Amino acid sequence: MNGPRNRLWLALRIRDLPLSALEAAASGDEPLAVAENRTLVYSNRAAEAAGITRGMDTATAQLLGGCRILPRDRHREQQALEALRDQLYRFSPHIDIHHSRATAQSGLRLELSSCLRLFSGLQPLWQAVMAELAGRGHDTRWGLAHTPMGAWLLSFARHGISGDETPGCFIERLNRLPVQVLQDHPQAVAALLDMGFATLGDIARQIQSSALASFRKRLGGEFAAFIADLYDIDRDFAQGSLFTRPLATHVPEEIFHERVEFEHPASLVAHLQPAIETLLQRLADFLRTRQLACQRIRWQLADIHRRRETIEVRSDLPQHDWRLLYDLSIITFDNRPIPFEVDSLALDCIDPQPRRAASQRLDFAGEGKGGGDQRELPATLAKLKARLGEGAVHKVGYRDSLVPELSQAIVGLGERCLQQLPDAHRHSLRPAWLFSRPIAIAQRGQHLYWHGHLTLAVGPERLVGHWWEDPLARDYYLAQRSDNAVLWVYRDLRSGEWYVHGIFG
Amino acid sequence: MRPGSDTPKSLSLEQLLRRDDVWRGRVRRLATRPVVDTGHGELNAELLQGGWPLGALIEVCQPRFQGEWQLFLPALLAIHPGLILLLNPPAEPFSQALIQAGVDLDRLVVVKAAKKSLFIPSFTELARTAACGAMLAWQPEEPLGYTDLRKCLLAASEGAGLYAVFRPSAARRQSSPAPLRLLSQRVAAGLAITLFKQKGLLRQTQPKPLILPLPAPWRALPGHAALDGAAPGAGPDRAGKILAHPRGRP
Repeated sequence: MNGPRNRLWLALRIRDLPLSALEAAASGDEPLAVAENRTLVYSNRAAEAAGITRGMDTATAQLLGGCRILPRDRHREQQALEALRDQLYRFSPHIDIHHSRATAQSGLRLELSSCLRLFSGLQPLWQAVMAELAGRGHDTRWGLAHTPMGAWLLSFARHGISGDETPGCFIERLNRLPVQVLQDHPQAVAALLDMGFATLGDIARQIQSSALASFRKRLGGEFAAFIADLYDIDRDFAQGSLFTRPLATHVPEEIFHERVEFEHPASLVAHLQPAIETLLQRLADFLRTRQLACQRIRWQLADIHRRRETIEVRSDLPQHDWRLLYDLSIITFDNRPIPFEVDSLALDCIDPQPRRAASQRLDFAGEGKGGGDQRELPATLAKLKARLGEGAVHKVGYRDSLVPELSQAIVGLGERCLQQLPDAHRHSLRPAWLFSRPIAIAQRGQHLYWHGHLTLAVGPERLVGHWWEDPLARDYYLAQRSDNAVLWVYRDLRSGEWYVHGIFG
Repeated sequence: MRPGSDTPKSLSLEQLLRRDDVWRGRVRRLATRPVVDTGHGELNAELLQGGWPLGALIEVCQPRFQGEWQLFLPALLAIHPGLILLLNPPAEPFSQALIQAGVDLDRLVVVKAAKKSLFIPSFTELARTAACGAMLAWQPEEPLGYTDLRKCLLAASEGAGLYAVFRPSAARRQSSPAPLRLLSQRVAAGLAITLFKQKGLLRQTQPKPLILPLPAPWRALPGHAALDGAAPGAGPDRAGKILAHPRGRP
């Protein structure tokens, strides 16, 4: 196992990240700056040539050179860094993103000691990394040290990489840095300057003479811990090297995308079935080995004329097995004609999610049929949804509202239904069937007709309210029709019209 | 009939039926099949097994839709656990009424399959699912034929739930493989149920309808309906000051 003394960190500080992350189109000589809170955090060379520098306020910058100022977007900066991290993942698995708290300086830090042999030494590895970065056109500064924070700070100094650097060499380089380089600790820097500390070497000498505790006492535990990490000083253990801090390993997001090319164009679903099955089995392998599950997959059909058709298949529950996704896919394909002769079929897994461990019944007596069948229900309902449509399978629930039709909620299968009725509804007459839209009743003289003559039997129950949206004023009755059907009817007190709203089943 | 017994050569049907060893169809051996209490004592007495048969197809013929919940609600509440599936219902089940009746809405699933080509596979797949405790299905616009009902019956026989399919009254005159067929019709006094086919029961006379009385809160109270006399549909003898709220009734 490599101890902390053998570690080698390469920090890559992307100077132009605030601008490059925005992907702003501009000619090379246009002055551009990025601002946050009305203060410039980055200016390009053309802007610097016009006297526009970082830290300047935006009004001054515009007066100086007609500089175009863009707002900073931290989210896009993070996305750009993550993309860069995935790109550099091939050089080292130990790679993290570092953001400066006080300035708009961000970058990556790679631990290289475990990868030196693979790339035949530090020099070739560094050159390969820089060649990779040059391809993306970034303005990058680098630093090399035995600690990640040391490497980051040394990226503000310019040192070449020879390949035979030692921790002593790094400490010597760090010692030469001015204390102002500790920008993320402005209060500590001010205090250090007041106390007469000019370089990090002054701090190192103070630690050697009176230990780290004096800094902890005067400048706080956080700063003391920072200095300890910077110089890799063991703080808490008599034999600190025995307690190596584990390195975090970056796991890049993996996507599933597989494609099958047909030797002959396929025009029937039956011709596609073997390819669908093969691709889904590969997806199941992918999900199983990574302990993932997915709810949505996307099929892409293409032909040699570059025509494309996308078909999305969705399951209510996350799936890690291929069988249900296969059934759903076949149903979906059957429900829509294939628009052209298919030459290639691709499968994408959308939004894979961690697989949840599910408890299973121990079946010593071999009575497994019941449990297995219970698990069939989600599959059956998913198939029905694929066949009938997303809204064709649902539950009903209660929603707190005075208006009967608004109190009726359509609830998804995975959701819980609200089943608590307020007193106003708990003891009132309510029909088992409700018409989502009340149906007008014909009125002839003093008689009501809806598929027969109606006689009011019980009521009324007056519902008045909902004044803030669509005022409601109704008198509800239970009415008996001439064929003895029992209906729920109401008279709209505002218009005087009569409506049937439900049937007592 | 025992062979070799001294039976005369010409026997009338009446004479044969007097014998003890003649198969009459009405045999209690089927009573071992699982059933669920209908919640209506008179109906239980009329049904061969003493309740709604499980794992079988019940065909209910009725004009439009009326009385389904009154007929099956006690059984639906008795079936637990298991989902209550409404396949192709004629309207939305009203959550307030079902909560009042004690139905767990989390167990109630509505499946809409208006075409026969979708109805049959939906019925058969749902019926074969063990999680299906009961399924009430309404015939789609395109009428179900004998073969379609046969498919539903086979699927129902593979399950262990309560399966009922509702069809129009006119379907009574058509042949059907359903082992239990009944006619349901609202009458003034309540819901009239006529069991016109039960597998294992040979009827010699026309079945008489049973009347399941209207639930008490539905019955009109004297003088309640006429209101102020201006309300249409109120009988002339019902004029008066009303506006009694149902909540206030005992």
